Amino acid sequence: MQNWLKGAVIAVVSVAGTIAISQMLRSPVEGRAPDVNVLRTTDGKPDLNGIWQAVGSANWNLLDHQARSGPVLELGAVLAVPAGLSVVDGNEIPYQPWAAARQKENYENWLSRDPEVKCYLPGIPRATYMPYPFQILQTASNDILIAYEYASASRVIKMGKAEPPPVDTWMGQSAGHWEGDTLVVDVTGLNDQTWFDRAGNFHSEALHVVERFTPVSADVLDYQATIEDPKVFTRPWKIQMPLYRRQEKRAQLLEFKCVEFVEELMYGDLRKKTGNEPKFSAARLRWP
Amino acid sequence: MKTLTAMMIAMVLAAFAAAAAQPESAKSWTQPRTPDGQPDMQGIWTNYTNTPFEVADEGDRPDFYGGDVDGTGRGTGPSSFLNDTSDRKLTKARSLVVDPPSGRVPIMPWAEEVRNYRLTHIQDDWVNFTPWERCITRGVPGGIFPAGYGSGYQILQGPGYVAIVYEMIHEARMIPIDGRPHLGPSFRLWNGDSRGRWEGNTLVVDVTGYNDKGTVATNVATQRVRAIPQSEQLHAVERFTRVDENTINYEVTIEDPKVFTSPWKVAMPLHREPDYQLFEYACHEGNRAVPNTLSGGRARDRTARASN
Repeated sequence: MQNWLKGAVIAVVSVAGTIAISQMLRSPVEGRAPDVNVLRTTDGKPDLNGIWQAVGSANWNLLDHQARSGPVLELGAVLAVPAGLSVVDGNEIPYQPWAAARQKENYENWLSRDPEVKCYLPGIPRATYMPYPFQILQTASNDILIAYEYASASRVIKMGKAEPPPVDTWMGQSAGHWEGDTLVVDVTGLNDQTWFDRAGNFHSEALHVVERFTPVSADVLDYQATIEDPKVFTRPWKIQMPLYRRQEKRAQLLEFKCVEFVEELMYGDLRKKTGNEPKFSAARLRWP
Repeated sequence: MKTLTAMMIAMVLAAFAAAAAQPESAKSWTQPRTPDGQPDMQGIWTNYTNTPFEVADEGDRPDFYGGDVDGTGRGTGPSSFLNDTSDRKLTKARSLVVDPPSGRVPIMPWAEEVRNYRLTHIQDDWVNFTPWERCITRGVPGGIFPAGYGSGYQILQGPGYVAIVYEMIHEARMIPIDGRPHLGPSFRLWNGDSRGRWEGNTLVVDVTGYNDKGTVATNVATQRVRAIPQSEQLHAVERFTRVDENTINYEVTIEDPKVFTSPWKVAMPLHREPDYQLFEYACHEGNRAVPNTLSGGRARDRTARASN
C-alpha cells in the first residue's frame, strides 16, 4: 500500500472511531450498547424524524387471529381478514368478566360500533398501528409532532412534566421524556369512545397508556405500550411491535380525509330525494 | 497561529464593545434560527382580529352570508361572544383583503350564484354545507382566515419540514421544504398540495392540486366569500415572515381563473401567544349540525306535503 493511501485510511478510521466513541459518550443507555446505526440529532438524541408505519394486522385484532372472510359477500377475498400473531404480551387481554362479555358483543356488532367505520379519531395506541403511515417531526425546541394520515389526526408530545389534562379527548394528552435512547410518552386524558382494534377490544375513560419508542436501527423503531385501565382490566398489559420507516424516496403523508367517505353512510337517509342521488346495489353483509 | 489568535481576541473584544455601546432600547430583534438554519417561527400563534375580511358595500347582505337566509334570525355562524378579543391588543385595518385596492374579492357572478344556492339549500344535502360545517377541513388557505374561535396555530420545524397544526378541525399540515416537486395531476385534494421554500427570512408556500369540491373560505367572518366554490385551477401562494418576537406577517395570493376575474391578496398578522392552549377540536365526532339540519329539512318536506 502506498504511504499516502495508508495515511488516508488511518485518518478515516480514526475519525470514524472518534465519532463512534463520542456517540457512545452522548448516549448512556441502561443495559444496552448503543447502536451506531441509530440516527442522532445534533444534541445526541435519537433522531426519530421520518415517515413510519406498522406492518401486520394488529388493527384487525391485537390477539392471535386466523384469516377469515370479510363482512361483504360481494367483495370475496378483497377486504377479507388477514391472519396475524398477537402483539399482546402473553396473548391475553385481562378483561374483568363484564368487560369480556362487552368485548364479545362489540365484536359481533363490529360494523355498527367500531369508531373507525365512522372515520372518528383513532385514539392512542390505535393510531400507531392502523394501516396508514404517520410522520414524526422532532423539533429543536423539543416538542415532538406526530401527524397521522388517517383522518388528519395528530398530537403534539410536550416534553417534560405535564399539568393534568383539562378535559378528556379522543387523542388524549401526551407528555414525553427520554430514558436513554427511548422516547417515553405518557398519555392521559383519553375519553372512552375509541377502540383498540376492529375486534371490539375497548377501554374506559380511566385509560392510561405509557408508550416507549426505541430505535433499534436507522429504519426500525421498537414500539411498546403499557395499557392500564382499572375499570376494565384486572391488571396492566402490554403490546409490542416494530415500526418501519417508509423507504420510498417520494414518501409523504397524503390526504385521507375520510369524513367524505362516511357521509352517505351516516346521513344518506336524511338527504332530499331528487332522483340524482348515487345508486347502490344491495350488498350482502355477513358478520360475525 | 499567533496572528490568528490575536485576530480572534480582537474580534471578541470588538463584539463585546459593540454590545456594551448599544442602549437597551435600540437593540433590534434578530431572527432566531433552528439548528438546521431555518428562520425559527416555532411556537403558538393566534389570528384574532378586529379587521373585517372585505371592505363593506351597500349591496352586501351580511345576515344572508351568515346563514340567516329567510330572515328568521337563524344562522350557522358562531355566537359573537366566541370572538374573544377583549384582552387582546389588536389593531383594526380597513380589510384583510389588501389587493385589489378596493378591498373587494373579484368574484365572478356564477360563483356567487353557486354560493347563494348552497346557502339556501343546506337542508337538502350535506354537499351544500361548506367543508368546515361538514368537518372535513377549513381548507388552505381558508383555514388560517380568522374565525373568531378555535384560533390557535402551532408551528413546528424539523429537518426538511415546517408543520402547522391548526386547532380547528385538527389539521396537521406538513410542508416539505426540500425542493421536491408537486404531486402531480393524479391528486386532487381538499387542501391542495403544499411545497415550501425559504426566500430570505420568508417561508413561501406554493399550493396547487386542489379538488373542485371545496370552498375558498368557510367561516362566517369571511362574509361574502364564504361558500364560494374553488376549481381545480385554484393556486395559492402563501408568505410567512416573522417580523419581530411576537408577530408573523401572513400574506396569501389567490388565483383561480374560473372563479375570480383577477388574483387577490389577503394580508394579516399572526400573534405569538405562548400561553394559549390548543384544545382538541373533534369536529366530525360531534357533528350534529349536518344531520339535524337535514332532518329538519325532511320534516319541513313532510309538513309541506301534508298541507297540500
